[in-house]
Amino acid sequence: MSGKKRIVKELGEITSSPPDGMRVRLVDESDVHIWEIFMDGPEQSVYSGGTFRLVLTLPKDYPFKPPILAFQTKIYHPNVSNDDKGSMCLGMLRSDEWKPPNKILAVLNMARNLLVEPNPDDAVETGIAEQYKSNRKEFEKTAKDWTKKYANAKK
Amino acid sequence: MEDDNALEEREEELSSIAAIFPELELDDKEPFRARLEIPVELASPLRVCFPASTDGEKPPVFPTPPSSEDDGHARSGKESSRSELQTHDLCFLPAVRLDIALPHGYPESVPPEFILHATVPWVPQATLNALQQEGEKLWDEYGHSQVVFGYIDFLQQAAERAFDLASGDLAMELPGSMRLMLLDYDKLAKRRKFEQSTYDCGVCLEPKRGSSCYKMARCGHVFCVSCLRDFYTSCINEGDVVSVKCMDPSCGKDPKLTSKKRKQRTLGPSELLQIPLDNALVKRYVNLKRKKKIEADKTTIYCPRKWCQGPARSTKYPKITSFDNYADSDSEPEDEIQALPDIPPHDPNKIDRLAICEDCEFAFCRVCLAGWHGDFVRCWPRTAAELSEDEQASYNYIRANTSPCPTCNSPVQKTHGCNHMTCFQCRSHFCYLCSAWLDSANPYQHFNNPGTSCFQRLWELEEGDNGQGAHFDGPRAAEIAALEVLQADLHAEAEALVDQNENVVIPEHGRARQEAELFAEALNELHLRQQDEPAVRVPDRARGPVPIRELPGMNFRIIPPRRAGIERFIEMALNDEEDAWDSDELDDSDDDFANLR
Repeated sequence: MSGKKRIVKELGEITSSPPDGMRVRLVDESDVHIWEIFMDGPEQSVYSGGTFRLVLTLPKDYPFKPPILAFQTKIYHPNVSNDDKGSMCLGMLRSDEWKPPNKILAVLNMARNLLVEPNPDDAVETGIAEQYKSNRKEFEKTAKDWTKKYANAKK
Repeated sequence: MEDDNALEEREEELSSIAAIFPELELDDKEPFRARLEIPVELASPLRVCFPASTDGEKPPVFPTPPSSEDDGHARSGKESSRSELQTHDLCFLPAVRLDIALPHGYPESVPPEFILHATVPWVPQATLNALQQEGEKLWDEYGHSQVVFGYIDFLQQAAERAFDLASGDLAMELPGSMRLMLLDYDKLAKRRKFEQSTYDCGVCLEPKRGSSCYKMARCGHVFCVSCLRDFYTSCINEGDVVSVKCMDPSCGKDPKLTSKKRKQRTLGPSELLQIPLDNALVKRYVNLKRKKKIEADKTTIYCPRKWCQGPARSTKYPKITSFDNYADSDSEPEDEIQALPDIPPHDPNKIDRLAICEDCEFAFCRVCLAGWHGDFVRCWPRTAAELSEDEQASYNYIRANTSPCPTCNSPVQKTHGCNHMTCFQCRSHFCYLCSAWLDSANPYQHFNNPGTSCFQRLWELEEGDNGQGAHFDGPRAAEIAALEVLQADLHAEAEALVDQNENVVIPEHGRARQEAELFAEALNELHLRQQDEPAVRVPDRARGPVPIRELPGMNFRIIPPRRAGIERFIEMALNDEEDAWDSDELDDSDDDFANLR
């Protein structure tokens, strides 16, 4: 299958012109299926100042199956599971929505956009989603606290 | 001198034209003659139609018969040209051939000779003539200098506009005889162009030659054949047939469409074969799709043979024998399954009860799920609505006082005599107690085998079966057993009520009446359940006597909160605490069961 070739190609594209506020590398140089991403919290978001580590795992039948994206850094977000997995499952990451021509770059951009604008209607953490909708101030406070605490935000 | 110059000039012009158009054919025999094909590739497609008749004959079919001569003619003429004439949009048309001759004296004093000829006469001669004359005009405009390239360029531009033959939205009419040829030409040319182009496959992200790509028939997205094959093969192997759609992320996501229309359709088998996918895989695909539809359809009836359980033959989902008879699925939307019409409430007299398993070809009754018994047998369970009061009464009587013949299922009642029965209907010999077939030559041996349930019971019930319950239930056993559970359950509930409230006492004499009511009630309830669950499979159990101890594990859905009551009932039954009506049968059936094994 052409999967590996495509992954190498995508990795080349992303490392040569990385998307805004992201640094991408392989966890283990010999395995192209596991990527490590350092994502800066977007300026305009409550996660600003923090740096989040994500791991992107590409299944062996990628691109026919979607990649798996997980936050390794704890984050207070309705769409990221609040456990040691930090998993995300929405939009194009869902296997019934995934289409093979989707690219990793699009996946990463989607994740970054979610930091700017969470999607409480498709949340994994319903409690956080509820708070996000009804008590935005409280949500923002906790999110900022966590960013400071876990994502090394200076301020 | 001058001649030499002109000679050279003509030679020079033709050789430079040949350099620009390598396909230019120079005439071997006569100098200064050449031939060039001007391909017709349109910038925007030409809409054409092919009237069925060109010489004023009546078109073969009128959409509606004209009401009156005059009126009809006018209208049908218009209508037929609109509805009968299919228009086609063509991008490629057969080339126009240009013959060039540069006579003595060209370019100074003699104009060039251009002759145009349509290889397929789709361009009217008048148009060609007009184009030819343009050559001379051009030569004039150029001040009698070399004009061949200019003219070819002019022709090419005209060809791109289809020589201005199309006027607005109106279709250009062409004789029907050209139809196939032109459509084929267009198709082939498009294919050739596609194969020569390069596409970036969105999956492997590699640029690929068109010849190793495939263009999706419905949406036109292009992917390379190897990615398409890999993806669809993996989908079909995993049974994920709903993903066999165009891979493009934007496909089927047009926000302008309503959600229903937006739903992307799966590919048809013919398209998969075109990509191409292996025949065996496409076969698996259509079979899986069909299986999903059959399973989603609540009206599907399955074969009662436990080892088979295939669906009954159905006209709605004919078995797929070739891909041709599956062509309709090409365009079917995914949500069609829900749109299937429910079978209308059937006329009890007209219901077609014969069902044939498409896998093992077992013929069975779709109502009672027993082997096919012919059209004239009244079988059970039917829907309560189908029974009149009289029928209900008859059924109750039959249920209480008869045994079914093990061969033909006819209700058989013993009025008196021994338990060796001969069926009135089919002349089978059988035992009234256990329904075993008996050897007509030596029927009584059955009652003389020590250790069997019927040992020395030849004369039991000599006075006839008057509802003592010793008869054999046959295919109705399961239903009856279920009724008994229900009945006992209700008894237990009533008793619990009595325990709770000492004041409520059910008088002994009222009990018989109460039981009759319970029975009717229970029967009703059973009907309702049968209606709710048309696919309840009982026949395998119905084939033999059902030991009551086995009841909790039966296929009948027993409503959970009642389970305690049932267990209590069984305990009571085992301890012989309840009425005598079942203890006898309990023993019988247990023994029977042991014998069967």
